Amino acid sequence: MKKNHKNKFKTPEGYFEGFNERLFQHLEEEHSIPSIIPKADGFNVPEGYFDSVYGAVVKKVQEKPVKVISLKTYRPFYYAAAVLAILLALRLGWDQNQEINFEDLASADIEAYLEDSDLGLSSYEIAEVVNLEDISLADMTEKSFEDETILEYLDENVEDLDDLDLNYEELE
Amino acid sequence: MVQPPKRPLLSTEETLVLELKNKATQAQAFEVLVNTYKERLYWHIRRIVLNHDDTDDVLQNTFIKVYRSIDGFKGESKLYSWMYRIATNESLTFLKQKSKKSGISNEELQETMIENLQSDVYFEGDEIQLKLQKALNTLPEKQKLVFNMKYFQEMKYEEISEVLETSVGGLKASYHLAVKKIESYLTDSD
Repeated sequence: MKKNHKNKFKTPEGYFEGFNERLFQHLEEEHSIPSIIPKADGFNVPEGYFDSVYGAVVKKVQEKPVKVISLKTYRPFYYAAAVLAILLALRLGWDQNQEINFEDLASADIEAYLEDSDLGLSSYEIAEVVNLEDISLADMTEKSFEDETILEYLDENVEDLDDLDLNYEELE
Repeated sequence: MVQPPKRPLLSTEETLVLELKNKATQAQAFEVLVNTYKERLYWHIRRIVLNHDDTDDVLQNTFIKVYRSIDGFKGESKLYSWMYRIATNESLTFLKQKSKKSGISNEELQETMIENLQSDVYFEGDEIQLKLQKALNTLPEKQKLVFNMKYFQEMKYEEISEVLETSVGGLKASYHLAVKKIESYLTDSD
């Protein structure tokens, strides 16, 4: 029998080693009791639908790119527009040394772009290109949080500890 | 006579991946791939987006993405789990875009989708099945996925674990919680 020197309580030999297995066995036994959850969810598909899937996918894969319309016929307008642009630039005294950089974009514009355009990236894909080691929680928020506040939030909102993807070796 | 060392035999899945990456065998292998996985992926997507026409779109996009990204598939996970991950991401992205286009929240969209089921010709569920959808809608996204994959698709925890990249223990706990919440919802709303 294992002794716990701090509180004098004892547990049977191998109690903790087999705990997970016994718990999950208990859960599975509980699930084998007939449940009130219906066995079917009521969804069905049109007759012969699955026979048509391959053909529809291949058709989409082989779809040709959209036809490009030649801009040739608009050429005279482009010449006129170019001349007008040069005249305007000269008149307004365009400062040629002034270059627009990424820094000139307002953060709000960048945020609005990211918000409005669907980048089509999953969280896994984003995680591949973002180096998380260089980012701390403080970089993501304007306010700093007390440890106690963070723990309280996690306690109330996290149902599955696996979601946190904790590195237990680092915490040791 | 000394026998040359035997090469390990390639699994059907590994052979299929090699054929998909080879231009000469790609078309035939793609047909095999679509025909093998179309039903399983359809039901996985359908239980997320609920409507048949939307499911058809997402399913086709999933296969197109698989076809166009197969060269980048390194075999670090199994082919089916990689495809399930693409299907899950495509379905969730589809719902996100749909709610954005309609100018409503994801929760409001889910509620509308369930209401629309009553007039959906490809939904034959009765009152209890509608209640089940409402109950599923109260679950966090991951619990809902785990429940559908385990209860209706009868996938093994090990398979779900590969798709959702979560430990088997965590999945068992999630499933148990989901079952309890659904049972309680169905009982309380009687």
